Amino acid sequence: MSGIVWHIFAFGAIGIFLIVITYRTLAIIRLPVHLRWELAPIPHEKGKGRYGGSYLEEYEWWNKPQHRSRIAPIIYMAKEIFLMRGIWEHHRALWPLTFAFHMGIYLIVGMLLLQVVSAVFIITEVPLSVLNVFLGIASVLALVGYLLGSLGAIGLILKRALDSNLRPFNTISKYFNLLFLGAVFISGGYAWLHSGDLASEMSFFIKRLITLDAGVTVTFPLSLHVVISLLFILYLPWTNMIHFIAKYFTYHEIRWNDTPQDEKMEKELRGLLAQPVSWSATHVKADGKKNWVDITTEKMSDEKES
Amino acid sequence: MKKNLKLTDFSKDGDTQLTEINIDELIPLAPPYDKIEELPGFKRLTEDQRERLVCNLDGVVSSVLLKPKNKEEEKRYVEQFVSGLKKLLSRENNWTFLQPLLLSIDYCAQCQTCCDACPIYLASGKNDLYRPTYRSEIFRRLINKYVKPGGKLRAKLNRGDIELNWTTITRLYELSYRCNLCRRCAQSCPMGVDNALITRELRKLFSQELGWAPKELHEKGTVLQLEVGSPTGLKPHVAKDNFEFLDEDFTEATGIEVSTPWDKEGADILLIHSAGDIVSFPEGPISFSILCNAAGISWTLSSEVPGYDGVNYGVFYDDVQLAKVAIRHAQIAKKLKVKKIVMGECGHQHKAFMTVADRMLTGDLNIPRESVMTFLENLVFSGKIEFDPSKNDFPVTLHDPCNIVRNLGIVEPQRRILRYLCPQFREMTPHGVDNYCCGGGGGLSVMSDVNFTDWKVYVAGRMKFKQVLNAFGDQPGPEVKKYICAPCLNCKLQFRDILEYYGAREKSGIIYGGLAELIVNAMVDIKKPFIKWGER
Repeated sequence: MSGIVWHIFAFGAIGIFLIVITYRTLAIIRLPVHLRWELAPIPHEKGKGRYGGSYLEEYEWWNKPQHRSRIAPIIYMAKEIFLMRGIWEHHRALWPLTFAFHMGIYLIVGMLLLQVVSAVFIITEVPLSVLNVFLGIASVLALVGYLLGSLGAIGLILKRALDSNLRPFNTISKYFNLLFLGAVFISGGYAWLHSGDLASEMSFFIKRLITLDAGVTVTFPLSLHVVISLLFILYLPWTNMIHFIAKYFTYHEIRWNDTPQDEKMEKELRGLLAQPVSWSATHVKADGKKNWVDITTEKMSDEKES
Repeated sequence: MKKNLKLTDFSKDGDTQLTEINIDELIPLAPPYDKIEELPGFKRLTEDQRERLVCNLDGVVSSVLLKPKNKEEEKRYVEQFVSGLKKLLSRENNWTFLQPLLLSIDYCAQCQTCCDACPIYLASGKNDLYRPTYRSEIFRRLINKYVKPGGKLRAKLNRGDIELNWTTITRLYELSYRCNLCRRCAQSCPMGVDNALITRELRKLFSQELGWAPKELHEKGTVLQLEVGSPTGLKPHVAKDNFEFLDEDFTEATGIEVSTPWDKEGADILLIHSAGDIVSFPEGPISFSILCNAAGISWTLSSEVPGYDGVNYGVFYDDVQLAKVAIRHAQIAKKLKVKKIVMGECGHQHKAFMTVADRMLTGDLNIPRESVMTFLENLVFSGKIEFDPSKNDFPVTLHDPCNIVRNLGIVEPQRRILRYLCPQFREMTPHGVDNYCCGGGGGLSVMSDVNFTDWKVYVAGRMKFKQVLNAFGDQPGPEVKKYICAPCLNCKLQFRDILEYYGAREKSGIIYGGLAELIVNAMVDIKKPFIKWGER
């Protein structure tokens, strides 16, 4: 692949990834405010989140100040994201594989960030000793990440195929996603083994991309890994593997959203309640013109008489 | 009967029953409840019922659906179902739950982590049909196929295409009432996916589009409540008459003046009981009259339709009905010019009125609403009433109503009362926000059509009964009287069915009741025991 093609491919894939991810995130954000549907425990409830309590435990809660912890939800999510707490507590048999798989992803992402920093160091001619530390750490992260990720991906494919608890719910796309990500890890591991110093090789590759250097050349194992990885980056935002974005909303906007109605929300709610309803069941009495307020405040026959 | 169910089995074999409840496959109970032969048998459907009714799921009928007259009728319902799917995903018709629904539909990882959190799935001996994921995944595949662009093609490519036909929709309808909406599954989901919400949305589609809902929740539930005042059928003057009679009766029984104020404009508090308590468990509402009067509280009940019944079955199946009931309650409070509304001992009333409807009550309808738990805690520790905890010196355990505890996070106030007033209070395992549902959640406790009560008692309530027996495991015999404190009408109805069915009062000395009764029982001014052990 010639230099310019690498640039188009890499920046194109990253650009499309960012555009689609942003579009899908905005699509979730722009969904209308929903009715409250919180679920304990809510960690931001200071002093109460520990046992699942909420501000509704206070006598005349509307007259009391709400004490919200900023740090508790972060700790909660950190345990959930990095230690897979939910799976550990509720599905222990799945934990080793899913932990290895996700940890593989996190380490590779961490390695990639270090590589970008190292590439900037190369460009800015930071002392070699500093660069070597970064490259050394990146190399270790890469090796462990590729190993854990490959193990997790292969293990999860086998578990999905063999476990009678999971098998009925498998789809082709589930297997394809695991295989695809598995290919990223395995090709990375192959490149690492083949190269004497994958971290340096990758940093120089990134440096040439950043500096728009047309003389980009890479070895076959690394180019195979980069191609598979960029294809995966192109594919990822179209799938439900972007649950790392969705999870923010399922937790913060639904489970933990216990915000009472306020003036700003009321304005939005009035707009939503003014929308026409077209449900067909007779008791709804909707005709496509009456709005939510009309149909929910219509008096029943007995009330009219009285 | 299929043992290991595939998702694709769901739309096949027309009228054939998909699975069956086998008593010997359910999780075992402690002695003396382990002898299946000594228990009343599971009521099986008769030939006549099988002939007339749609009963193609598990041999249980929760909500009567008559078989369609012809293929055209079947087709019409299937088309309506597709139309409902589209409305469920539209902003205009479903702004109320669009974001939670879409996120739960789109981001399930199919890890099955939620299954072992579900008391129904566990109690059933892990019957595939009762997995929280089973109905959700079928619903998800139908949404993806019929509503999303390119859905039909993707369904074909992706293996496991679900055919949409009369069998599929009728099984889905029935299966949507095999869930307590307790949300234990949602609590365990690492993604934050909520299968209980999906189930409720499914019920909503059937109700709001096809007009299908169990009669106990709809015709004899919200419709009756909005028309005459209460699903119990209690009209305003009858409710008042009942209370007057109860006031007199309990004045005589307790030796202290009991009176209940009605329609007192400008009172501080509007208390809204569940009318089911007035009818079935009157010592509950009367306890509030005793306590409020003893503490000198300015309060009132309302006799306006439906202000004397706080239940809101809409929260189980229908947003429109939910909103209608909640708005009426708020309008009544506004008219009475009260400072706040206090919930009765009713779990779903708490959830419907305090949180879910919070974003429906705009402007001056947004009147402060308080839980009965904090209200009672404040009253007990106010120092206005003298208590003698030794009067409650018997084993007491607490059932946590899911809608008050897991859904609203009101965990400790009721415990502080019990620790103070009940020397032998003990917790169930697990408890608090990790509790198991009584088995009557999601509206199931009031449903009793055909043989549904048998399913509720045998399957849905089994984990809870097991927990209760464990909590009292140190004194299992009937010689020691024990009390399950269940501060929720629907939970009490379910406990009534469970304890009667297993004969637990006779065999183990277990009765059930509310929280307010325990508080009144400990009052120094009440000379005779308020709790009647022989009646529950």
